[in-house]
Order: sequence, then C-alpha cells, then structure tokens
Amino acid sequence: MWTHFHRSAQLKIWELILISAVIGLTGVENEGFGQTPPAGMVLIPDGVYRPLFRAESDPKEVPAKAFYLDILPVTNGGFLEFVRANPRWRRSRVKRLFADESYLKNWADDLDPGTNAPANVPVTQVSWFAAKAYAQWNGKRLVSVAEWEYVASASPARQDGENDIEFTRQVREWYTTPAPARLSAAGLGRSNFWGVKDLHGLIWEWVADFNTAMVTGDARGDNGFDRQLFCGGGSQGAKDVQNYPAFMRYGFRSSLKADYCVHNLGFRCAKDL
Amino acid sequence: MRLAPNAALFNIAIAILAGCANQPSRMAADTSGRVTIVAPAAFPEKSLYQSESTWTTDQGKEIKLSALAGRTQVVVMFFVHCQFACPIVVNDMERIEAALPAEIQHGVVGFTLVSFDAKRDTPQALAEYRRTRRLPAKNWTLMCGRPDDVLELAALLGLKFKESANGQFAHSTVITILNAQGEIVLQQTGLNQDIRETVRLIRQLASN
Repeated sequence: MWTHFHRSAQLKIWELILISAVIGLTGVENEGFGQTPPAGMVLIPDGVYRPLFRAESDPKEVPAKAFYLDILPVTNGGFLEFVRANPRWRRSRVKRLFADESYLKNWADDLDPGTNAPANVPVTQVSWFAAKAYAQWNGKRLVSVAEWEYVASASPARQDGENDIEFTRQVREWYTTPAPARLSAAGLGRSNFWGVKDLHGLIWEWVADFNTAMVTGDARGDNGFDRQLFCGGGSQGAKDVQNYPAFMRYGFRSSLKADYCVHNLGFRCAKDL
Repeated sequence: MRLAPNAALFNIAIAILAGCANQPSRMAADTSGRVTIVAPAAFPEKSLYQSESTWTTDQGKEIKLSALAGRTQVVVMFFVHCQFACPIVVNDMERIEAALPAEIQHGVVGFTLVSFDAKRDTPQALAEYRRTRRLPAKNWTLMCGRPDDVLELAALLGLKFKESANGQFAHSTVITILNAQGEIVLQQTGLNQDIRETVRLIRQLASN
C-alpha cells in the first residue's frame, strides 16, 4: 500500500514537471499563434494522421488540422452542471430516442451523482446524443475518430507512440483487462506527448463520427462488406493488422448505437481554433 | 420558434390525454400553405421528429425533420454521385410507390431522400437529380444538411457511412419506414429486396 502511494506521489511530481513543460511549450507556440487554449484544453498542432482503415484509393496519410482537446474526459461533476442547466437531459426526463434505459443509471438521482459516481470520476453511461449536447452547451464539439486516434497514438515520451514498446505493451495490457467495478478519478494517468491524459487505461470514449467505423465480423480479415448490406463505394482496408488495441476500438465503435449508455464509455470534447 | 413553458406543458398534457398510439397528425399544411409547427414534446418518446437538425430541400426550403410528420414516410439516405447502391435503392423506393394503390400514393405516404454528401449535394444538385431521375414533384422530398446533422440522422436511423478520398461513400443500404409520428416501424436492409411486406405495412399504416 505504502509503495503504491509513494509511487503515485512520485508520479504526480513527475507529471507536474511534465505539465509545466507542456504548458511552457504550448505557451511559446501560442505566442506564435496569438492564441491561448481554453481552460482545461491543450492545443494539438497541425499533424499527419495515418488512418487504420482506408479504401485503396485513400491516401495513407491525412493532414490533421490543429484543434484544442480536453486534457481530461468529462467528469460526473462537469456533467452535473450540464443537467442542471438543461433539464431535458436529466435522467428522469431524457427522451428514449436520445438515451437508452441505462442513461446515468449509476447516479443516485437526477441532480445527485451519489457515491457511485464521484465528481472527479469520468461520467459514463451517457449516450452519443447526450455527449454531443454537452459539447454544444459548452461551445465545443465531440472529437473525431481521426483526431482521437491521432492524439491517442502518442506515448508520454513521443509523438509516434507506436514505436514506444513500453507504451504499446501497457496499452495492450489495459485493453485485455476487464473494466473495474469502480472507475478511478480522471487525471491520475500520465500525460501523453501532447499533455492529454486518460486516453487509454480508464474508459472508452465516444467520438463524433463513431458511426463511420465500417467493421463487420473479425475486422482484421475483413476486406469487403456484404455488398447487399453496404455499398462498397469506398471499400475499406486496414493499414496495420498488428495494432490490436486500435482494432478493438474500431470494433467497439462499430458495435455501438447512438442511444447506448455503457458503464465504461464516456467522452471528451474538442474545439476548433 | 419557441413555445412558452406552459404551452409546452399543455402539449404534453394533450399527448397524454390522446395517448401515443392514436395521435392525430401533428403537422399539416392547411389550404393557405401555412404550416403549423408543434413543440417536440408533442411527439412520442422514440420519434425522430424530436430532432432539432435542420435541412434544406431541393427547392431551397429550410425544414426540420418534423416537417415530414403527418404521413407515413419511406426514408433513404443516399448521395447523388453514388455509382453502385443508391440508384438501386431509389429504384426500390419507386417500386414501393408503384405497388401502392392510387388513393394511398397521394398525400398519405411520402418518399424522402436525404444526402450523406454534405459537400457536393447542394439543393441545386438535388434538384438536378430529381429532374434526371424523373422523381415526381409530389410526395418526394429531397434534402441535404450540414455534416453534423447528417451524422445525427445516420445515428438516429442506425446507419453507418464513411467517405473515401475519391468522394464515394461506403454506407448501409437501408429503407426505413417511419409512421406519421416519426417512429421507426420497419427497416428493410439490402438491395432489390422483396417489397411485399413493406408495401403491406405501409398500406396498413395508411389505413389507420
């Protein structure tokens, strides 16, 4: 127990240094851009995204435009403010079209997250519609698949986390570990290269275009769709069949419906510059 | 367009009194062409017409999904430049229309095409599509919207789609039947399917 505390304390100090370094860095960049990220967000500069799934005619690399991203997933505390301000998103009032019966089921009441959903823990059991409404209310938007995957591919030390063996091992480990009954607080994980936390290891996250993941069956061998069910106008092929966690994410996204509220599925927001 | 809270409550009360199964049409164009818009609260829990997304028709008219209320709708998402599935799905819709008795074709059933392609499918492109496909001016609605609203409608209909770099969309091929209140009553998946069950259901909905 002691070593655990000790280690996490050490980690926190290390994180503080890292955060200050990142803030310092973005601060320098921002002078160039003349923009400061909104509170709780970091600037993700222009970059190149290599999509996992693409049609043969698609380019291997897609330029990703700079945007702001929430450092942490949205918490129960943050979501409480949203439902306070928007009564139609309270558990007892939400329309079944926009959220299934599991919507905020872990909360004690409409305006009381209760002991099962502490304020600093990521909000889960929210539908895509609810996440989207939260983002809009905040003047933000949901992050896209491409943006999410681009940022999440960075390890603590490097932008191209796929070449960081320790990082890929840890990520794989999380994806093969069952979700714990109680989620930890947001922000305890290490910051990645961009200063973003908890992309892996805590929850799964909604993305704006979750319904663009065209995966059927075992995606790794899936080089075509049933022509009857899908128009193969852009038939999709996978870039890297070794990237197991990414396949799991694509598979998971493709199994979702927008009204689903899942116990370990939350979200974070993005914002245009 | 906002209703005062007490008016919205009144609508809920009406909906409760009327019961969900047997609601009168919620929206109708009267003889003067004016349209009555009702609060989202008037629609059932699972009605797509609660969506606040906005769309532009091929005639350049701005509408909400609730503008489709009041009649059975045969809804398909498509895109003009589709070289494979969409022409067949539109053909399937025409087969459904042709299989309906004349008295049902007119006014009781609508056929709605919504574009995936927010970039290229402008109202003009849709109008051109209506001309070249010779889609009837009556009963057929063609519309396009912003990317965000396209994503939302696809999500509401449970459809998946993905744009590739060459401007084609991989997409689910699904014909959705909405009842007059905007609830999904049937989804027919695939191309060139047997339409008899779909037609039977539409006739049943139309005669209610």
